Amino acid sequence: MAKVVKIALAGEGGQGVQSVAQIMTNAANDEGKEALYIPNFGVEQRGGVSIAFCQISDERIGAPKFEIGDIVIALSDRAVVRTQQYVGPKTIFIYDASIEQAEEYLPTNGAKVLAIPALKISKEELHPRVFNVMILGAALQATGVLTLDQAKKALEKKLGYKFEQNPKLRELNHKALERGAQLMQEQLAGK
Amino acid sequence: MAKPIEGEKRAFMTGNEVVAWAALAAQADIMYGYPITPQNEIMHYWTRLGPKFEKKFLQTEDEISAGFTTVGGVLSGARAFTATGGPGNILMQESISMAEMMRIPTVMVIQQRGGPSTATVIYSQQEVMLTTHGGNGEGHRIVYSTATHQDLFDYTIKAFNTAWKYRFPTFVLGDGYQAKMRESLTIYDPEMRGVKMVPTVPLLGQEGMPGVDREPSLLRNTFNTEEELYAIIKDYQQEYDRIAPELVEHEQFACEDAEIVIISHGVVSRSSKMAVHELRAEGIKVGYFRPITLRPFPADDLSGAIAKAKLLLVVESAEGQLVKLVRQNLYGHSILPIEGLLKPGVGVTSEEIVDKVKALAAH
Repeated sequence: MAKVVKIALAGEGGQGVQSVAQIMTNAANDEGKEALYIPNFGVEQRGGVSIAFCQISDERIGAPKFEIGDIVIALSDRAVVRTQQYVGPKTIFIYDASIEQAEEYLPTNGAKVLAIPALKISKEELHPRVFNVMILGAALQATGVLTLDQAKKALEKKLGYKFEQNPKLRELNHKALERGAQLMQEQLAGK
Repeated sequence: MAKPIEGEKRAFMTGNEVVAWAALAAQADIMYGYPITPQNEIMHYWTRLGPKFEKKFLQTEDEISAGFTTVGGVLSGARAFTATGGPGNILMQESISMAEMMRIPTVMVIQQRGGPSTATVIYSQQEVMLTTHGGNGEGHRIVYSTATHQDLFDYTIKAFNTAWKYRFPTFVLGDGYQAKMRESLTIYDPEMRGVKMVPTVPLLGQEGMPGVDREPSLLRNTFNTEEELYAIIKDYQQEYDRIAPELVEHEQFACEDAEIVIISHGVVSRSSKMAVHELRAEGIKVGYFRPITLRPFPADDLSGAIAKAKLLLVVESAEGQLVKLVRQNLYGHSILPIEGLLKPGVGVTSEEIVDKVKALAAH
């Protein structure tokens, strides 16, 4: 059977995890892959942890949600706690390095637990608003489901009208994507 | 005016959006509705897309009204539909009972959420009994249970034709997962695929003098005598039994030599399908059966599919609603034991099904 890459993204409302999921799965679909994306939704949606379940494969996908992710990304302290349940022995767990006292709650059963300073770098080097695009870059680097060029095409589709008005935004988003991928690459290489 | 969909194209969208596109492709005239999660975006997309094609929408004060206005729209000859879920589905049973009694071809899309009562706005398969047999009647209705976005598109279009051809209320039974998730499908102009829409006609207020120029429309939901009602319900049952073989639909594979047959419907059947492929690869003799119509139920097909089986496994996101339908429809045809993997209000993954089958096969 074809391998299905399962990615769970979790963060606070407003951190843009659902946008990342949408751009990523749209891009996969545009490349002719099968993709399935479902947000968690419920009465906790306002002010709660927002989770996006994404699956990408070469063949049709089964259940919309999954028990264990290949990649689980948590972007806030509550998200770290909440996403423990999606971690298994083969899971790569990624969290933002700025989360205070994260180590108390980090999963201990994953294959790898990696911290990336995406929030810090987005603030200091880029712009806080492209934080989620850095996460997209990191997720793609970790999974290899899409190339950065394919992701850029998807960004163009979603934000092209804004890029037209302000070409610097395009540059900023591309940088964020590449920087996110680079951070992940460094982490995976154990640097 | 341009067609909503020219030719066909690949799309990647939510299930609710799929339903709105399908209703447009089916040339529906009007949607009546009242907001409830997880079906809200059907209304949102319909109101966004509809006006470009001179389609109408009426938001009512509640689901009782949304159901009855749908009935009213259909009476006037409009290809009308509504969508709801959970507590809204309960409130609509009153109008659906009227549609059953008067043979009004309503179309309703149900996106199941957790129950009973408000429960969760998220997902379940707990509206099976309600949708197939709700109301104070005999369940003279047609229910398609969809599993994929392609199904949602195909069967929403089909529901209009089934309703108007057979004149029984027709349902598309989806769920919150299908409503909210995005996946790929092909949307198309039905005509291009050779699907002709069954013409709609006013059931009330037709031209000419009733009994002279045309047959009178006898639309009644009130009867003075028991015998009158009895005769009509018997007549409906006979008609329903007659058309059932034309209506039943199912999907099956790997059943020929299967010792365990997995029975599931809707979104859960996706997991069953993957589980059967995986188990077969390991040499375990397991088969897949999915009723697409839950009402009428493909009883004969199921009997055939389980001919070699020693055990049936029903998998559903409910505490035995599909089990009830299976038992009822197999009674007299099979004495096989029925096991359940019953998970009310939550999804079922293929891994869970694989584990369950292995545990059963080991005994």
